[in-house]
Amino acid sequence: MESLDQVAIGGATRVTRVDGDDPAACRLLELGLTPGVEVRVVRRAPLGDPVELELRGYRLSIRRTEARRVTVTAPR
Amino acid sequence: MASPASSVAGAGETALTVVLVGNPNVGKSSLFTALAGVPTRVGNYPGVTVERKVGRFTHGGRAIDLVDLPGVYGLVPRSPDEQAAVDALAGRVPGMAPPDCAVVVADATNLERNLYLASQVLGLGVPVVVALTQSDVATAEGITIDHALLAARLGCPVVPVVAPTRHGIPALASAIVAAAAGPAPSPPGGLEALASTAGPEHSPAAREAIARYAWIERQLVGVVTRRPPAGAAATRRIDELLTHPLSGTLAFVLAMLAMFSSIYWLAAPLMDGIEAGVAALGGAVRGLLPEGPIASLLVDGILAGAGSVVVFVPQIALLFAFVALLESSGYLARAAFLMDRLLAGVGLSGRSFIPLLSSFACAIPGIMATRSIENRRDRLLTIMLAPLMSCSARLPVYLLFCGAFVPDRAVGLPFIRLPALVLLGLYALGVVVAAAVAWLLTQTVLGRSRQPFVMELPRWRWPLPGVVLRRVAEAAGSFLHNAGTLIMAVSVVIWALTTYPRDEAAIDAEVAARRGALERRIAAGGEPAAPAAELARLDTPAGLAAARRGAAQRQSFLGRAGRLVEPLVRPLGWDWRIGCAVLASFPAREVVLGTLGVLYDLGDGDDAEGGLAARLHAATWDDTGRPVFTLPVALSIMVFFALCAQCASTLVVIGRETGSAVWPVVSFLSMTLLAWVAAWLTFTVASGLVGG
Repeated sequence: MESLDQVAIGGATRVTRVDGDDPAACRLLELGLTPGVEVRVVRRAPLGDPVELELRGYRLSIRRTEARRVTVTAPR
Repeated sequence: MASPASSVAGAGETALTVVLVGNPNVGKSSLFTALAGVPTRVGNYPGVTVERKVGRFTHGGRAIDLVDLPGVYGLVPRSPDEQAAVDALAGRVPGMAPPDCAVVVADATNLERNLYLASQVLGLGVPVVVALTQSDVATAEGITIDHALLAARLGCPVVPVVAPTRHGIPALASAIVAAAAGPAPSPPGGLEALASTAGPEHSPAAREAIARYAWIERQLVGVVTRRPPAGAAATRRIDELLTHPLSGTLAFVLAMLAMFSSIYWLAAPLMDGIEAGVAALGGAVRGLLPEGPIASLLVDGILAGAGSVVVFVPQIALLFAFVALLESSGYLARAAFLMDRLLAGVGLSGRSFIPLLSSFACAIPGIMATRSIENRRDRLLTIMLAPLMSCSARLPVYLLFCGAFVPDRAVGLPFIRLPALVLLGLYALGVVVAAAVAWLLTQTVLGRSRQPFVMELPRWRWPLPGVVLRRVAEAAGSFLHNAGTLIMAVSVVIWALTTYPRDEAAIDAEVAARRGALERRIAAGGEPAAPAAELARLDTPAGLAAARRGAAQRQSFLGRAGRLVEPLVRPLGWDWRIGCAVLASFPAREVVLGTLGVLYDLGDGDDAEGGLAARLHAATWDDTGRPVFTLPVALSIMVFFALCAQCASTLVVIGRETGSAVWPVVSFLSMTLLAWVAAWLTFTVASGLVGG
């Protein structure tokens, strides 16, 4: 079990859990970062933050603080 | 055929109320324009500064009131935007009828996520039509959508549209009228069963999201087919090039450099042209009218005021052309992605980078560019910080005082000159103070952003020239229309204050008194060269005209106000004339130089820049005869101008963009206080160091 911010660039992974039910967590869920979804970490910005993700056929940028709250596992 | 109209409305039947609801950046505004044309009313939702845009059009003899809801990702009311959207959909907004139909605007290239909001709207008991925007882009990318099947699955009409070309717009209007007459679709079925399959370790919010996305995936089976598009390889190469740590950063720097230099330097000849045109027009008007108050009002008041509005248009147009190009190509979000880390430190996000960078050319287009910042708090903070960036109007002030009063000495290395260092320091001062203000506001009033910085990174696209041109026209038009009149009014008021009252006898008396004082100083001996030169100036026609013009302004309301504020500016090392010039520069910072010229009797014959510097060097205190302008005074003036809010146009635009009279007042008071304290510190420290 690792969090999304630890996933290597280019790595595909599957979300297992999103911590909390505050506005930040709800926004991630609304955007499709739901448990069960497959996510690819496309790249990090040159300054190290934020990270670019690919999920549900689109690209999304989130900060590492948010990525840290998303627990992931290697896809089956 | 849908056509914008207002007079046909309301014959017999009442108008239908239709709302547009969708995720941010799906082309809701373009669709609004395509359906209803220019909004008839732009206001706020009661109690919040969430923009409410209403337009009216008729279709098939039916009048339709179209209301554009704020862009939201979901209908759980956590932000003012979401609250306004939820209230409008539920018919809870005072003065607005409950909607007869909700149009869910969904991006065809990103259907899965866009249908999340649709799944929520479908459960509200309101007739729904889904408008699929970007259908042309979706086709080009190899995405095929079976619209009929999707409509059957969702239980509501699905209409593909291309807003810029109006493709599908009449069909959408027909679907809206038909849907409004029919029943509401049934809510998405089986959500509870789907939620219960998610484990108990997930929060209720997560379970809902899991259920809705599972439902969406089920609806989309067989609806969306993807095949690799023709240009996929090229797109991937562009993506790799533009996002690579090295080439991407280089491309970003080049893009920003091109944008900044175009608003800074490319706009300059256009602005000079406008100023020359206004001056020529003024000369022509003066030639037609007899010298007097009417000619002065027309030329110095109204024409000059109009010129001071129009002069901003080149910068606004160029910046918005760039922003529209960056936005419609998908680069704007990438730029925000690259710069986010830098601005996160002061509580902002990458979205603020371009507005703040532009503000180094001019805060007005910069503040207008904050429209692309979705987060309300971030947008407000960016608006408050933008005027602290040293704009191009400050540069003439810096250059004059640096050139005339900062000794041209090498510092360390021969090519590092002191005036250049002071200039650099002034630019840095604005940035450092802005960072401190951002930090302070984040710690106190505004707090940290409650919404996370999440941002969709759109696909690369070729920008459409039509879209870019429309954005430019909209920005320039809204500036001229909304801010222009008020800026002109301020200019006319300041003109009146610097022109009246005008008493020829009193002007003669002041010039005579000045002559007398000079003659006494020569008679008293000491160093007679300076007074003698001044006296000789008074005997030339140009010198006398300059002295009379200066006397008139010193006796005007402005001059009196300058004497009134003298106790306030004395601690900064200024005499009352500098106070006057600063007051008179309220319409625009660079006006300070012209006013200083008049107040220190700069003549028409004097060389504009060197002449002013020479007049300032010659200026003496009324009582002691010591020079007014020393290095500490020059530094204190420059520091004051780096931080003050002496720009009525900026304040007017802050008022327009925040939709409130509070923020311009807050901005003016806080910046003036900041500027005063910093100028006082500068003067005090510099006087201590060099002995001023």
